[in-house]
Amino acid sequence: MTNGTEEISERIVGLLPRLRRFARSLSRNQHDADDLVQSAVERAWKNIEQLKPGANLGSWMFGIMKNAWIDDRRARGRRGEVPLPDDSGSHPAVSPADADARRWSVSEAMSKLPEEQRLAIALVLVEGMSYKEAAAALEIPIGTLTSRLARGRTALAAELGDSA
Amino acid sequence: MNYDDETLMAYADGELDAAQRAEIGAAVAGDPELARRVEKHRALRADVAGAFADVIDQPMPQRLLSAANAGAAAGASRGGKVLQFPSRGSRPPGPRWQAREWAAMAASVVLGVVISWRVFAPAEGGLVAANGGALVARGQLAAALDQQLASNQRREDSVQIGLTFKARDGNFCRSFTLRDAKTAGLACRGGGEWQIAATAAAEIPAGQVSQAGSALPAAILSAVEARMAGDALDAAGEESARRGGWDSKR
Repeated sequence: MTNGTEEISERIVGLLPRLRRFARSLSRNQHDADDLVQSAVERAWKNIEQLKPGANLGSWMFGIMKNAWIDDRRARGRRGEVPLPDDSGSHPAVSPADADARRWSVSEAMSKLPEEQRLAIALVLVEGMSYKEAAAALEIPIGTLTSRLARGRTALAAELGDSA
Repeated sequence: MNYDDETLMAYADGELDAAQRAEIGAAVAGDPELARRVEKHRALRADVAGAFADVIDQPMPQRLLSAANAGAAAGASRGGKVLQFPSRGSRPPGPRWQAREWAAMAASVVLGVVISWRVFAPAEGGLVAANGGALVARGQLAAALDQQLASNQRREDSVQIGLTFKARDGNFCRSFTLRDAKTAGLACRGGGEWQIAATAAAEIPAGQVSQAGSALPAAILSAVEARMAGDALDAAGEESARRGGWDSKR
């Protein structure tokens, strides 16, 4: 089994940049986003037997991340925690200022979306998944995905248009 | 003819089948208001994607690499062992990995896996599909080939269009690069779809707009040269070909 496990490790490492981007589009600061990625990867290893042979590791991991994010939000809500402030401006060496500003306003607009719309937007618009893939990761029918995506887009456009 | 917003959104996202795409494409070509609505969807998508694009190239925290490797490090995750994970909730000690180190590690260890998986696995957005022996563009790639103009594409678009030209058989061809997948290719019209004629590994410096031709790997350039009749289209020619729905008979 060692070879299989090593191969899965390599593929998870390969997925990390995208998992981080997905997490970053859900959480407003990088530290929370990385916690989310770590917790999803840990869950994946704990439940690795549930990964069926031939199943798509990427879809599976994104689905786990979705569940981890929702669980985390429920737990924070119960504890009455306020999320850490956005730290979009903390990587000046990596991203130019205009990218920071844009990310800040998009993050801000996304944080106002209902959870299910935010997930649809994050998977399709940020991660570039097809509707079919995103619906599979979210475990919802394609029609539901499409209407959440359309509603999320309308809300985002209004929010970004207003703040511009 | 009016179309509902979900249909136009699906068109902008490259999610319609070839017949629907042709129908909407023709309607959009003849109706500036429809074209404007499609463009709004495309622009919002580019804005949202662009806002998070640079996360991909940021240094990877060691704690995430450790978590990803925990299963292999433990030897057998299926043996029911309790795995030790790095503690969460504190910022990683010491400097984070620099982009260069991360890039070198990625290049040496996982790049091959990542490239092949990213381009062809459905989770990347289903960029290609096999259709009667030909690979045809799907999803974001099909949408970009259909709609994106090299003359006004955005740096953050994950698909960058290079050359557009007419092939000797009369069909339009366009070269493209997939930034995240570090892959370049050539797609030509056939059967109402974009058929993938060639692909090759491409190295694209982050954030660089691929200028016509210059960034293409040799394998793609020779595929272009083998097909090209006359010159590559200029901005006006490209736009006019798009307006005609990439139908070479118009």
